Amino acid sequence: MKDLGTHVVLFLVISAAIVLMSAFFSETGDRAALRSFPKRLVYFLGGCALLTALMLAAEATLAGVS
Amino acid sequence: MGILTSPSAPARPAGDPNVAALLTWFVPGAGHVYLGRTTFAILAFLVVEGIYILGLKLSGGMGFQFLQEELRGALAPALAPEAGNLGGLLYQMKVFNYGGPNPTAFPATVHLGVMLTAASGVLNALLMSQAHFDARLPRGVRSMPGSPAFAALLTWLLPGAGHLYQGRKLRGALVFVTIVGLVALGTVLAEGSNLSRERHYYYWGGQFLAGLPGLVMELVHGHAPLAKHVVYGEAGLVLASVGGLLNILAMLDVYRWGELVWPGWVAQKEAERESAAAAQEAVA
Repeated sequence: MKDLGTHVVLFLVISAAIVLMSAFFSETGDRAALRSFPKRLVYFLGGCALLTALMLAAEATLAGVS
Repeated sequence: MGILTSPSAPARPAGDPNVAALLTWFVPGAGHVYLGRTTFAILAFLVVEGIYILGLKLSGGMGFQFLQEELRGALAPALAPEAGNLGGLLYQMKVFNYGGPNPTAFPATVHLGVMLTAASGVLNALLMSQAHFDARLPRGVRSMPGSPAFAALLTWLLPGAGHLYQGRKLRGALVFVTIVGLVALGTVLAEGSNLSRERHYYYWGGQFLAGLPGLVMELVHGHAPLAKHVVYGEAGLVLASVGGLLNILAMLDVYRWGELVWPGWVAQKEAERESAAAAQEAVA
């Protein structure tokens, strides 16, 4: 894929924004929200990686187009 | 929610919050008429519907004609910001719909017009939340400008401003940098091609929720003709749109914070009223 690095960086930027805002939404205190941010980000990225793997597997098998 | 469950709050609320919010959705201000706040209701009606009517005048009622023909279903406008003002939206669909059989030129002020109709929808959604909140206040207690819906309005206009208003400076600064940063980065990547409702009808609706930063950028740099393929056009569009959608979380956050601190204010007002009544009795 062309420009994979740029797309990964953009994905990380938008992931960080989504996770930060959801941490603020979930935690009333600033300190608690910021402390939970790294763990939430890892979970979010892990979930996205899992979803990507599932989609690639589906594309290669069930939804494969020859 | 916190007000009704607070032990310090009296048991008699001003009205049913769901009824107040639903009435407001159909007719701006109707929820406040139901709550007995007629003056506020008339003002709210004039402002919200006035903005919608002005928007219709400027756009010639052609806002939904931005949608491609294959997308022009009966429920397609329900995803537009105008859906926050259901009465206005239904009026526009009834009178203007998707235009007549023959194509007509868009007026020069169409972009400003559709911004206003969309703004009316967001304002009415905030008015609904205000009506819902006011209905849960004890009878006789009026909300003041510092209500949760007011903080949410500030957050819509400028992400982070509602948090600053509530004295939450760090959170306000981070929300501002995150949301305005996403919209700005998206606009740079898309080379401004995202700043057009005509081009990206639904994405524009998401971006619109980031408030003034996106609107000012659109008024200054928007609607430029595309002379070449924009390499990161789609990526920029998604970033800017997600930035606007994330501002909903920021608005909900300030609204919830406002609700958390209000029971204390209500209890104080109740205590003041009781002490004033006791003083009057003592004089009598």
